Amino acid sequence: MPLSRRTLIGSSLAAATAVAIRPAHAAANVLRIGISTSLNTLDPMMVTTGDEYIYANLVFNGLARMREDLVVEPDLAESWSYSDDLKRWTFRLRRGVKFHDGQEMVADDVVASFRRLLDPAGTSPVRSQYDMVESVSAPDAATVVFQLTIPYGGLADILTDRQVKIVPRSATAQLATQPIGTGPFKFVSYTAGDRLVLARHPGYFESGLPKVDGVELRIIPEMSVKISALQAGDIEVLWDLPLEQVKTLSARPELRVDSVPTASWDGAILNNDIPPFNDKRVRQAFHLAVDKKEIVELTLFGQGVETISPIPPSHPFYAKDVVVPKADPAAARKLLAEAGHPNGIKLPIILPVGRPVRERLGVTLQQLAKAGGFDLQVQRLPYSSFNAEVSGKAPLYIDGFFARPTVDTSLFPFLRSKGSWNERLWHYSDEAVDRALDAARSSADPAVQKKNYIDMQAALVANPASFFAYSVNYACAYRKSVAGVKTHPMKWFDLRNATLG
Amino acid sequence: MRLAAFLLRRLLGLIGVLLGMSVLIFGIIHILPGNVAYSILGEFATPAAVAQLEAKLGLNDPLPVQYWCWLSAMLHGDFGTSIVMNRPAASLIGEALGRSALLAGLAFGLIAAGGISLGLYAATHRGRASDKVLTLAQFVLIAVPEFFWAILAVLVFASWLNLLPATGYAPFDAGVADWAAHLVLPVLVLSFGLVAHVSRLTRSSMLEVLDSRFVLAARARGLPERRVLWRHALPNALLPAITVLAIDAGLLIGLAIDAGLLIGGIVVVETVFAYPGLGRLLVYAIERHDLPLLQVGMMVVTAIYALANFVAELLYAALNPRIRVAGAAA
Repeated sequence: MPLSRRTLIGSSLAAATAVAIRPAHAAANVLRIGISTSLNTLDPMMVTTGDEYIYANLVFNGLARMREDLVVEPDLAESWSYSDDLKRWTFRLRRGVKFHDGQEMVADDVVASFRRLLDPAGTSPVRSQYDMVESVSAPDAATVVFQLTIPYGGLADILTDRQVKIVPRSATAQLATQPIGTGPFKFVSYTAGDRLVLARHPGYFESGLPKVDGVELRIIPEMSVKISALQAGDIEVLWDLPLEQVKTLSARPELRVDSVPTASWDGAILNNDIPPFNDKRVRQAFHLAVDKKEIVELTLFGQGVETISPIPPSHPFYAKDVVVPKADPAAARKLLAEAGHPNGIKLPIILPVGRPVRERLGVTLQQLAKAGGFDLQVQRLPYSSFNAEVSGKAPLYIDGFFARPTVDTSLFPFLRSKGSWNERLWHYSDEAVDRALDAARSSADPAVQKKNYIDMQAALVANPASFFAYSVNYACAYRKSVAGVKTHPMKWFDLRNATLG
Repeated sequence: MRLAAFLLRRLLGLIGVLLGMSVLIFGIIHILPGNVAYSILGEFATPAAVAQLEAKLGLNDPLPVQYWCWLSAMLHGDFGTSIVMNRPAASLIGEALGRSALLAGLAFGLIAAGGISLGLYAATHRGRASDKVLTLAQFVLIAVPEFFWAILAVLVFASWLNLLPATGYAPFDAGVADWAAHLVLPVLVLSFGLVAHVSRLTRSSMLEVLDSRFVLAARARGLPERRVLWRHALPNALLPAITVLAIDAGLLIGLAIDAGLLIGGIVVVETVFAYPGLGRLLVYAIERHDLPLLQVGMMVVTAIYALANFVAELLYAALNPRIRVAGAAA
């Protein structure tokens, strides 16, 4: 048929009409959450990214769980007690808890889950965090006993963590493909690059929960598309909103934006092992050179708060009475001169490409530190090569760490002499810090812990290990139809009470 | 006889290309910066854990040994396992490839129809305002990259007009309307630049034909202009465009890769629209250093290219005996 102008226009109009039929939303009572990247693994023991933590906390339970206000409460365990020397912990299990396949969860499952995690031949990324566990045993079907090698006051706290979930002892082989847990939602399907589909677990042990029929995690890498999807109602929740979007999206009438403080931190890693930061005065000078408040404004658009250590100012253990010296570039230059750098210091600062907030932090530091005598040359490297090429080798670079569930796990490996992260990042050693960290973990009394952690922060101000810039906020955007969800500072979701209006 | 020799030569060439590419892909992938053990262990990667995992994954074997293991397994039909996801690579790639082929196939149809009709329209309206506007639009479409159009399309059609979904994929079993609506934007954006290419090509060849003597002769004989255009000019003008599209069609057997343009576009479009196709899977594999998945994915893309070229050459040889003779004599 000959093509004419008329047919061309006619056919394009027809196509446009056909296109404009927007389909009605799928299953009505399913909560759809927009996340960023494909999950690497469905095995809860192996999760290492924020997107995976969401999944692990919806499908599985641990012995204990952490509320949005960071209070630890029983989950699969009903209660627990510990011996006077803090080396023997006994957990009483909740009875009648059903796995998604209908089997009952018993103490043997708990023991098997921990043996799997602690297996030296296994590949659990977090095994070293449970080094203090000597053995796990089940005297009866409802009791689990942990025997520890050292007195450890925070065992129940670390059992809220993302990788220590209880899985059925008979079904560990299928965890990578058809995972089974006890959580409020059960696994249905997963398509890499597209979505993870979860359905309500009808046998969930808290009766009447969860309230929605299912949850879908939609993988949408491009932020502008994710925001469009939220505004259009293709998703109801946008996880981990970039902080520069908080103000803009808060103004939208159909959305609710929540920005909460977390214990995740970014900073400049100063290598204490090699010049110039092996000199305490140079580290002090770096801290005097810049104003952390200004960094928070410029890097986080105000969505965060300056900090001394990984303990965030929102935490009760934060040392709010310890005096931190004000930024004073002149004093910084003077200290540098005393340390043998009368003309200041020129050195590279390495920024992680692909971590925009941390890149911003690096550039901000480069600008602000000039006045204090630090002439920093920005170098950019892909974040994926940081572990292999930068960490522990470069004198100065930008990095950051995701919040950990307890103060001990976010401090001890990082600041204790010979701590696993200390050895990899900055090689710091300070007697007062070591003493305080040791004392804090060998007590289960919050008052004793608090006193020691405040001592530790005071010691850290006097002898800085590295530049902990700020505790960063975490933001989520919700459509107003979503109720019953609080934004969790650990960046996962508790959707047991979520509803869709 | 000659045809058989020709076929054999081409087939051997195809195998050679695939083998050569397998060495190249393996080599390049192994000099990529980064490390899969770090990628799996994430922020918990202690040196001891990294070493243990590397040993477990067989990453410490000498490279030639690793290469041989990979190649021989592949020849036995074992395409390996994604070491990050711990799932068979073949099924991951198979599913993704199917979805990419759908996207590419629809885009190809749009490119052929849209490109030729716009080119004809421009040629028959040479020099007029509409031709100039079209020419300008074509250059803009060619010059501006897909990711710009993709994001613009999302903003306009999903955010402002709320006509179409912002993301590009819904499973078929969720409903045909839903599935189709999700495909509209990715297909449109994927086609934009290539429609412009094909229409430029059609326009120039049509103009050439319109200026030729036989068109002049037809007009001189007093034929109506419609008849001159549709009966005499069009069939001749379409030859170059059809040739290009035929190559594309040959490639469509696999994935409709327009000389690399379409696959490049697919990576961008699939990422922006969150469409779970082969492009996304490859980007994922690169980001996570999932070497087995990346190797197999790259080999699949290579094989599609090589096979499509092979088919195109056969088609040419069938259509034009001179190619066959030259090929056998050379």
